[in-house]
Amino acid sequence: MIKFGPGNLAIPKQMRPVYLVAAGQSDFKKFYPEKKTEELAVEAFRMLALENNLKVDGIQELKEYIHTACYGHFADHFGDQLLGEALIHDRLGLDPMGNVGIKTGGATGGSTLWIASNLIASGYSDCALAMGWERMDEVDTWTGNHYIATAADKDYETELGHIYTGYYALMAQRYWKVFGKGSPAFRRTMSKIAVKNRRHAYSNPFAQTHGKITVEDVEKSPVVADPLRFYDACLMSVGVSAVLVCSEEVAYKLSDKPMRLFVTAGSHTLRTADRRNMDIPLLPHEEADPEIRKYYEKLKGPEVNERYPGFTGFLAARMAAYYAYNMCGIHDPCEDLDLVELHDAFTISDIQTYEDIGLRPYGRGPEYIESGDAYLTVPDDGSFSKKLAGKPGRLPSNLSGGLIGCMHAVGATGIMQVCELFWQLQNRWKYFHARKEMWERFGKTMPKDIENLQVPDAKRGLAISHAGVGSHVTCSILMRPDALPTK
Amino acid sequence: MAKHDYDFSNLNPTATVLRKLDPIVIEKPRAPIHIHTYGGESPFFRGLTEGKLLATRCVNKKCKPAGKEGHVFLPPRVYCPDCLERTEWIDVTERARKTARIHTHITVAHPGAFNRVPIPCELISVEIEGVSTIIMSQLRGAKPEIGMPIEPVFETAHPTFTILDLAWVPRKA
Ligand SMILES: [Zn+2]
Repeated sequence: MIKFGPGNLAIPKQMRPVYLVAAGQSDFKKFYPEKKTEELAVEAFRMLALENNLKVDGIQELKEYIHTACYGHFADHFGDQLLGEALIHDRLGLDPMGNVGIKTGGATGGSTLWIASNLIASGYSDCALAMGWERMDEVDTWTGNHYIATAADKDYETELGHIYTGYYALMAQRYWKVFGKGSPAFRRTMSKIAVKNRRHAYSNPFAQTHGKITVEDVEKSPVVADPLRFYDACLMSVGVSAVLVCSEEVAYKLSDKPMRLFVTAGSHTLRTADRRNMDIPLLPHEEADPEIRKYYEKLKGPEVNERYPGFTGFLAARMAAYYAYNMCGIHDPCEDLDLVELHDAFTISDIQTYEDIGLRPYGRGPEYIESGDAYLTVPDDGSFSKKLAGKPGRLPSNLSGGLIGCMHAVGATGIMQVCELFWQLQNRWKYFHARKEMWERFGKTMPKDIENLQVPDAKRGLAISHAGVGSHVTCSILMRPDALPTK
Repeated sequence: MAKHDYDFSNLNPTATVLRKLDPIVIEKPRAPIHIHTYGGESPFFRGLTEGKLLATRCVNKKCKPAGKEGHVFLPPRVYCPDCLERTEWIDVTERARKTARIHTHITVAHPGAFNRVPIPCELISVEIEGVSTIIMSQLRGAKPEIGMPIEPVFETAHPTFTILDLAWVPRKA
C-alpha cells in the first residue's frame, strides 16, 4: 500500500482508440458433463464470428485478422489442468499467434479485457481476442468451497473455516450494522436485488437459472453466513465468454457498428485484515459537490468513525472507477450511463459497489435500488410505491441476471457482462435473447412471458469485474462512438 | 438447485471409477500433501504456541505510513509494506488483553472441505489499539457483537502450528 503521489493518480491514456466489434458465449450451467471446456470455447467463438454481422466471409477470414489472444481462466485446481490456455488456443486454431493466460480471481474476465484493450491501445496488435472460462463442476460443492477459500491467505485466513463466503460476510456484517443499522428495510433492499437479477435471468437464454423468486423466498432461504442467505449469493458455473477488440481501422473493416472500449483496474489487499484507514480519490461529481465532501468528512469523524472504505467498501472498485470516469469523460455515472453490469457476488457487495462507483455516496447505496433507478421498469408488484411502479428507471443494472441469476464462471464473468453491454448498445438484445432458436440451441423453451430487456437507445454501459473481497477490480466502459461525452 | 447425477462420496485414492457412459465421466482422485513453510513469519506461529501474540513494526524513521493508525502489523510482515525495510518483532499480547475489540463478525455454519474449526465458528475481525491492521480470528464462548471487548487465548497444550492456535474470549472485567 502507498500514499498517493501524482504518479499513482495519473489518468490512464489510450495511445489510440480501442473498439469492440463482436461478442459470443456458451450457455452457463452448474454441471456441464455433456461438453468439454474446449468445445464450449469453440461454440462461443463461433457465435462471435458468425452472429455479429461481421463483414467477413466466414470464420477463416476472420481468423486472418487475429494477432493476439488473451485468455482469462482463474482456478487451475478446479479445472485440474495447467496451461489450459494452450489447449483452447489450439482448439480455436489460432496457433502460432501469441497468447497469454490472465488470472485475477473473480476479476479475471475484466483483467483479460484490460490486457487485450491495452494491446490495441498501445499499437502492439490491431485485433485481439479476449476469452474467459471456468470449469467448476469437477468437484462437489464442499471441495469447491475449499478451493475458492484457497484464494484467501492460506496461513492467516483459509484455516478459519475454509469458506470464502465467511470472509466476505465479515465486511457485509460491518456494512449491515454501520450503514444498514441491521434493519428489516435494509434486508428488504438486499432481497429486491436478488429478485431483480433472477427476474432478468428468466429472460436470458444463456442464464443458469430461470426460476422467478419473491422477496419472501429470499428471506426464507437458508442462512449461508449472516446476513447473507442462499439467494443473496452468486452461482457457481461452467461456461465461456469472448469478445474481439480492434483498432479503429480494423474495427470498421469488420463491422458497421463497433463500440468504443475503455478498461481500467484497481486493487486492494488480499486480506481484509490489512485494509488500513487511508484516503480515497473522489469521483468527478463528488469532487464538484461540497455537500458530499462534507458528508465524507463526517464519516471519518468521531460521529460515525468508519474506516471507509476499508471494511464497508471496495477501494479497488473506487480506484478503477476513478481512472475510468476521468479517462473517458464520465462526470456523473447515473446521468451519463444508460446501463450497468455489476459484480453481484452477494446482494450486499452489490450495494457496496454502488457507492464505490459513485451511483450513490458511501453509506447510501440502498437508495439506488429504492429510488427505482436500478430498474429498466420499476416493478409493479407492491414492492415500490404507486408513484414509482411501472416507471422507467434511470440506470438499469444487471439485465443479464448478473452473477446471482445468470452465472459466475469466474474467468468468463467479466467478459459476459461486456458481451451483454455490447449487444445492448448494438440494439441486438432481442436477437441474442428473445428468439426461440436461441433457447432451443441450449435445450430450453423460450418462456411465453419473456420480458423485453432492450434498453431503448442505449449509448453507454459500464461493467465492474471484481475479485475476492476486493483484491482486484476492473471497470470497463463501452460507448457508441457517436456518443462520447464531451469533457 | 440443479439436480445432478454425481456422487462424490468415494474418495479412495487408487480406484478408477466410471460414473457415466454417455458422455463418459470418470473419477480422478487426488490426495496430495504439501510441505509448506512459514519462513520469516515463523516467530508469529511459534509465539502462539507459547501464549504470545507477536506483531511486527516498521522502525524506519524515513517511512511514510499509508494508514492512519500507526505502523504495527498483525498479521506480521517481514518487510514493511510501505518502505520495504525489514520490520522488528514486538509482543502485543498485553496490549491485546487491554484494548482488543471486535470490529466485525460472522457465524460460519457451513465450512468448506478440510475445515478443522468447530462449527458453528464465530469468525471475527479484531481491532487493537496502536495496531494498524485488523486480524481475522475466532471467538469462543460468547455471541460476538461489534465493539465487544475481548482478549486472546492460545492453544499451548496441543498446538496445531496454524492460525487456529489463536482464539479470543470476552474480556474479563
Ligand atoms: Zn516502513
